[in-house]
Amino acid sequence: MKVTFPHMGNAWIVIQALFEALDVEVVVPPPTGKGTLNLGTKLAPESACLPLKINLGNYIEAAAKGADTIVITGGTGPCRFGFYGESERQILADAGYDFEVVILEPPDGSLWGLAQRIRYLAGSKNSWARIVGAVRFAYEKSVVLDQVEDLVHAARPRFGDAVAAEKLYAKARQHLIEGTSYTSLHQVPLRLAQAIRDHQAAGGSGDKEPLRVGIVGEIYTILEPFASLDVEQQLGALGVEVDRSIYLSGWVGQHVFRGLAQGYRPLRAYPRLAKPYLGHFVGGHGLETVGAAVNFARRGFDGIIQLLPLGCMPEIVAAGILPRIQADFSIPIMTLTLDEHTGRAGLQTRVEAFVDLLERRKSGRLKRGSVLSVAGK
Amino acid sequence: MKVGFPRAVYYYDYFPFWAGFFESLNLELVASPLTNRRIMESGLKKASDETCLPIKILAGHIQALKDVDALFLPRMVSTEEQTYLCPKLLGLPESIFPAVPQGMPVLTVNFNRRLGKRRLLAELEHFGASLGKSRVEVHRAFELGGEWQERFEKSRLKGLSFAESMEEFDPVVRPKRRKAEEGSQNLASATVRGKEPPAREGQGAEVTGREVTEQEVVGRGGSDRGVAEREVVGREVTERKVVGGEVTNRKVAGREAAGREPTGNTPEERKEPSLTIALVGHSYLTQETYANLNLLGRLQSQATVRLVEEVEAGRIAEGLRSQRKALFWSHARKILGAGSFFSRGDEVDGIIYLSCFGCGTDSITQDLLARVARREHKPYMVLTLDEHSGEAGLVTRLEAFLDMTERRVRRESDVSAHG
Repeated sequence: MKVTFPHMGNAWIVIQALFEALDVEVVVPPPTGKGTLNLGTKLAPESACLPLKINLGNYIEAAAKGADTIVITGGTGPCRFGFYGESERQILADAGYDFEVVILEPPDGSLWGLAQRIRYLAGSKNSWARIVGAVRFAYEKSVVLDQVEDLVHAARPRFGDAVAAEKLYAKARQHLIEGTSYTSLHQVPLRLAQAIRDHQAAGGSGDKEPLRVGIVGEIYTILEPFASLDVEQQLGALGVEVDRSIYLSGWVGQHVFRGLAQGYRPLRAYPRLAKPYLGHFVGGHGLETVGAAVNFARRGFDGIIQLLPLGCMPEIVAAGILPRIQADFSIPIMTLTLDEHTGRAGLQTRVEAFVDLLERRKSGRLKRGSVLSVAGK
Repeated sequence: MKVGFPRAVYYYDYFPFWAGFFESLNLELVASPLTNRRIMESGLKKASDETCLPIKILAGHIQALKDVDALFLPRMVSTEEQTYLCPKLLGLPESIFPAVPQGMPVLTVNFNRRLGKRRLLAELEHFGASLGKSRVEVHRAFELGGEWQERFEKSRLKGLSFAESMEEFDPVVRPKRRKAEEGSQNLASATVRGKEPPAREGQGAEVTGREVTEQEVVGRGGSDRGVAEREVVGREVTERKVVGGEVTNRKVAGREAAGREPTGNTPEERKEPSLTIALVGHSYLTQETYANLNLLGRLQSQATVRLVEEVEAGRIAEGLRSQRKALFWSHARKILGAGSFFSRGDEVDGIIYLSCFGCGTDSITQDLLARVARREHKPYMVLTLDEHSGEAGLVTRLEAFLDMTERRVRRESDVSAHG
């Protein structure tokens, strides 16, 4: 059994760590690229959402490296992602790829079903204690990963030169991949913070306080730089500090551990914040998007960007509600819809225009409330 | 108090329940007028442009409800214990507020069967209290609503048309009298007069549907037709080899067993509407005559039409058996189950899946059903509607599909199920 899984940003670091700790042979799909997407687009239903197409591409590329089993998380709806596992299995089977698909999910809301599936993957050689230990360690890794990403978000706009920040990021990621003990894991953000301080002390940072933009929306497009065409990096290069509504560990805690763990950025508070605008969950992270937008607006962020794959049902609901938050808090909100046809130049132009608008607003040349038509409506 | 109910999305499946509920509470519930061009256009203006056609139509209907005291926009979360409705319905009414006219009060209640009947009733009681109704009254209303809903669904199961079943709950809906005849007139008049809602009093034109078809096809010449057929084929071209001759043989064998053996290529037979076509898709598309350019009427004039609503629960469950994981959307489950049932039997000759641009659930369901249909060698076509759907494109594809299906039935040659 050679296990593979779909990419989602840096999640592979965590998943690889989990399986390696259990001595399960794991094939990390080659990094997602244009070729991956092309492979997936050929097989996927035309109107399926972007993540499904990229997933399929990942599997096919992993199959070339010998993978025969897919692990993916499941769900009970109503977001389409919950059905990805089964849908992908049928698509791949009809295309001639002989994959076994293991859907990690609590089928009836209980953790028992999840445990059984983990047991299937881990085989009989692993004791439960070892499995629990491996899961805990992988989870810890995801929390540290989020800390690293958050530090990089802060470093990018303050560094002036974009390359230095990316270099530090790559280095920290490497340390994280190599980290095999809790101590070495906890060293990673500390070392990164130190490196950032050193760089600043050496005079490598700009002096002005950067703009702050909150990224909300669908989790895959937030976490996967390929899907968002590196929007976070683009913003960083334009001198904007980015914060996200959802980080990997928060999602794992909510989605896989059913809220038993809360992660680096808990999602718990969002429904309450969203209440005045949306009183019910709508699947996916639609409710969290609305709640996070309120949160960012209250914390005084300069602007908010919503990311969603074309046709994402929960995010379309949220997109219909965000203009009210924009009006109430007088904060510019821009919605970016992403699919396989999204061009880098077009996206970059929109992001630059948005940042330009935020800058002018901040410098006082535009009065509050006079820029409310930025949502693209 | 007069309460308005938009004639869109959940209207087509759940209006009888709410009509009974409000009737029992002594409140008047009126539905908005039938969809027309004005409603469609005002909806397009007010709804977010990312959303799907049905929600855009909903926005139009909300604005069409002018002479009411309040709007009723329930949040239909789930109507069965294991499933959800579409996320966009879960986001109502908040996501549609931009379309609500200024100052119009909106009544809403969560309808969620997943939580069990007791919690659902508590929710409804709370809603009733806000209207000044007692617990007992709400319970009685819930009962009556349930009765009406059941009556509606039973009537649909019996094969009565949507209009016939809905008539007693919503007087605006009137069943057409001479169905087959009028259907063909609609087709004729629509083809002649371009994009306009089908006329009730059919105007002249003594042509049957089939003749119009052939005229059209001949008029267009061969090349156009080729294009249309390739469209039907879509991505499935690659499969052609696999299917081969064995398919048609199998199909024909089925027909002979069913005792409807085709006699050949006589011109008489060509005129007889002998095809049975299943039209699957969300009821708010298949029954939305304006938005789907009277697809149902057109089909009925040329073939016997079967719908998802006519398939019993047991058969739906049977149809779903080949899926490893159950779908979690009520409508998708019904569509896939009924579609699989139609694929397997010999009752229908072809399946048309009516979807709309931006429908998230359909993007998964139509693909799953395509795989089932392909395995069973049943002709299958997906029609996708949006606000720009043109008459000519729809008619061409429909004709091409019916032609192909008919030729398969008459075993003219080895016509593959994919075109």
